[in-house]
Amino acid sequence: MERISSNMSINDMQYQLNKRNKSMYELNNQMATQSRVNNLRDDPLAAGHSTRYMSKITHLERYAKNAERITSEHRVAEGYMKSANSILHRVRELAVQGANDTYTKSDKQAMGQEINQLLNELIEIGNARNADGTSMFGGDKTSTSPYRVLSGTIPEAGGQVVTEVEYRGSIKPSVVEIGQGNYVKKHFSGNEVLWAEQQQIFSAVNAQNYVVDTDTSIRIDGEEIGLNAGDNIHNIIAKINDSNAQVKANLDPVNNSLALITTSPHQLYLQDGAEGSVLQDLGVITDTGKAPFNVAPDANSSGGSLFDMVIHLRDRLYAGDTIDIGGSALKGIDLAQDKLLSSMSELGAQDERMQVALRRIEHEVPELQEQNSKEVDLDFTKAITDLKELEQAHKAALGAAGRIIQPTLLDFLR
Amino acid sequence: MNSTFAGIEMGKRSLVTHTTAMSTIGHNLGNAAKDGYSRQRVEMKAFDPIYMPGLNREETAGQLGQGVTADKIERIHDEILEGRIVKQANGEGYWKTRDKYVLMMEQVYNEPGDISVRAQMDQFWDSWQELSMYPEQTSARHSVLERGKSLINSIHRRYEGLSDIRDMLEQEVQGTVQRINSTLAEVSEINKQIVKIEAMGDNPNDLLDQRDRLVTGLSSLVDISVSGRDPDEFTIHSGGMHLLQGRVANYLSAEPNTQNEGYSDVVWRESGEEFLPRGGELAGYLELRDNDVREEIQGLDMMTINFTDMVNSIHRDAYGKNGQTNQDFFTEWPFVNNVSGNYDRSGDGEFDSTYLFRITGSNSLDPQQQIGLEGTISLSGPQGNVEIDYNSTDTVEELVSRINTSGAEVVARLDRNGRLNLKASPAAEVENPDFVIRHIEDSGQFLAGYSGVLTENGAAGAYDWEQSDAVIALRGEGVDYSVAPLSHPAGWTELNPSIANDPDSIAAGFGKNGDVADSGSGDAALAIAQLRNGDVMVGKYKGFSDYFSQAVTKVGLKGEAADRAYETEKEIMQELKGLKDSISGVNIDEELSQMIKFQHGYAAASRYISQVNQMLDTIINRMGV
Repeated sequence: MERISSNMSINDMQYQLNKRNKSMYELNNQMATQSRVNNLRDDPLAAGHSTRYMSKITHLERYAKNAERITSEHRVAEGYMKSANSILHRVRELAVQGANDTYTKSDKQAMGQEINQLLNELIEIGNARNADGTSMFGGDKTSTSPYRVLSGTIPEAGGQVVTEVEYRGSIKPSVVEIGQGNYVKKHFSGNEVLWAEQQQIFSAVNAQNYVVDTDTSIRIDGEEIGLNAGDNIHNIIAKINDSNAQVKANLDPVNNSLALITTSPHQLYLQDGAEGSVLQDLGVITDTGKAPFNVAPDANSSGGSLFDMVIHLRDRLYAGDTIDIGGSALKGIDLAQDKLLSSMSELGAQDERMQVALRRIEHEVPELQEQNSKEVDLDFTKAITDLKELEQAHKAALGAAGRIIQPTLLDFLR
Repeated sequence: MNSTFAGIEMGKRSLVTHTTAMSTIGHNLGNAAKDGYSRQRVEMKAFDPIYMPGLNREETAGQLGQGVTADKIERIHDEILEGRIVKQANGEGYWKTRDKYVLMMEQVYNEPGDISVRAQMDQFWDSWQELSMYPEQTSARHSVLERGKSLINSIHRRYEGLSDIRDMLEQEVQGTVQRINSTLAEVSEINKQIVKIEAMGDNPNDLLDQRDRLVTGLSSLVDISVSGRDPDEFTIHSGGMHLLQGRVANYLSAEPNTQNEGYSDVVWRESGEEFLPRGGELAGYLELRDNDVREEIQGLDMMTINFTDMVNSIHRDAYGKNGQTNQDFFTEWPFVNNVSGNYDRSGDGEFDSTYLFRITGSNSLDPQQQIGLEGTISLSGPQGNVEIDYNSTDTVEELVSRINTSGAEVVARLDRNGRLNLKASPAAEVENPDFVIRHIEDSGQFLAGYSGVLTENGAAGAYDWEQSDAVIALRGEGVDYSVAPLSHPAGWTELNPSIANDPDSIAAGFGKNGDVADSGSGDAALAIAQLRNGDVMVGKYKGFSDYFSQAVTKVGLKGEAADRAYETEKEIMQELKGLKDSISGVNIDEELSQMIKFQHGYAAASRYISQVNQMLDTIINRMGV
């Protein structure tokens, strides 16, 4: 520019000072908040990433908390299962003893009494409660005791004893999230853990000419199996076998009726779907009573829980029936122990999964925090040196401005 | 022969001229600090010499100069540069408003931080996770309740923040229209006076300076073009029409528009036609108010309605600790209190439209299954319908994904039971209502028999909103739909008061086969928690994480752009002003040296007059006697 007016220098100086002040103000803000991104405009992409990181960290911390809590609950359950196992061990010892003919009838009755006491302990374990008062082995029916005890008198026992132990809990597995899409079971259902034999149900109704009349469904252990109008018994059997239910169906050759056998020991829950009656028509269940107490009275049903096995053994001991003691009763105890041990190993496997998940989260959280920090945290060293630079430039500019502004011709005219 | 007193006359002329020049210097010095002042200079001209050629010419040596006179007083001013400054002010004004208000929008987010809506939603999610662990407990339910309240509060705060910004922008629009009008009135007054003065042959320098300043101010408000081609008439154009023609101004006014929630349109006061500014502060305010902030509010509403609708759908199916079911967790205020969503849009007393937000098909689909059908689906889009083809080898998942990326204003997802949900997203055009499904049609059977949404395929079976009872087109039983929400769900969403009064009603478990859920069942709580991270389709975003992250980045980018553009505009303006100052600005040293010059001239003239006076004295008083 050829000509400089008096205002130009001052205007320019003001403008530059303003700009520098703005930079210093922003740096000061950044240093005070320790964050590089105080407004979204400071780094829009980093801000976007940061929201994801921060949320992810919150989620992982919750997953870790869940996993830790479930782990400790499982330890308690494991403790109970271990003590049930050692009780069964003692029961087995008594069974082996009792199968020996050298003991007299009154000896055997004494053994029966001991087993009665052990049975009561087992029932206590079955009805065990967590620290917060919820029952442990009742599935997600946690506010009531899972096992209902029926007593009666047996001549040899001399008083009231437990005659039946009914499972009143639920069979639905509740799950808890320990990772995105990663679930662990929270409850245990007694109809699996404290069960012994495969359950078998043989209907007495001839099903050869049975045909389903409308689209309906049946439910086995909570699994819904859809049936279409026109399905005959063979289609039904095929559908049951194809489903996820742990049961095998076939046609019993004796009665030409439906036979259901569990593939892993547990108590079967059978229900008809909404407004259907296929299982009732096939003679498997009745409409009085709720599952699992709705098995048709004329159907041949076998298979018992751990308690049934112990009760059976005790009753044989009271009766002094050596053959049965060493035979089916002992076998029943073995089956019960097998099932308990397999449940415990399943528990162990779940625990391992949770430990793996926890270790992974322990790694992931600090990594995410570091990534988040890279996006939005301030590089303090750089910020301070920038600020110092600006301060110097500021002082220099002010000094120079002071010199330019002062003299005019007026000062030199007479 | 010269007249006797011609010398004194000449001296007098010189004195007067030099005094005028000094006055002008004084004027310049006085106004040196004033912004926009153009320095003035007296153009001195030699007075007409004698003798002009003519018959009455004296026979003597000529021409004899007659001294000096002030010809005109001009301001040193570059008209072209002024034009550039006027244009630049326009850009600066526009970006200044954007910079200021986009910053306000950014601050409403409270991100990255832990008090944002996102952080509160994470806390809310956390409380549902806790409930899924301990479904028997009332204390876990209290936690869900309180965190739900915090989440709602944070949504309300964000809504109010954005709404307040929109109201502020409305006030700015009105204020700017008034400022434009008053500026026009001032300029027209000045024009009147300028015309009169110029007719006299004078230069109205100070008035011209004032007018320039007003015009630059006007230009920062609205995009104008100035035409001084006709020297008698100073015209300002905008939007193809005259804003100002000489003394006649065409004023603007702000008229409330019911279609735009009562916010004002800018119109020409005379004709009532809409005035659409393309630059300057007014354009900035209108764009921010009707595009940027409106989009933000729409996004928040969309997130809110999707979230509350999905939570409520799950919650209604589940059971509380006290056995209650079919309870909404969040209140739902439908747009119309009519089960089928019938609404009278034209206001003539007859139902003429159906307002539905979500339609759920009756059949449960497997995402990995190949459809085995072909056809074309048409869904309402921003302008007209959008077509989506599908053929028999596509899987359900692929088709859902294709619908969501097609640009239609209807999005699809499979809910936890595998049923197809079609949900409306916000409308791009102001005339179309937000969150209302406008058109669903399928030439094949996918939407009809396969997913169980429509009764039949083809145009005959299409769902169209511009009729009452459009729900007839939906397949009868098993189809579920929800009426569109009352405007701005982010503003009025609340917790259901009956849940707030009895936290035991908060449902944690699904019952099995129609039975009440057991106390230890937490699967519904888990399902609600899974909404946070799942691909649940929040409008066009795949899930909530996408919405939060992308919303933040979008606004941040707008802010970054506004900041940089404004800085650039300011730099350019600074340069131009510097150029103008260089030409028109007062340099005190320069003025003072000029003053010395005129001082001497004045002194010389005085000396000359004294001398002539003495000479005359000799003639008059000393000759003869």
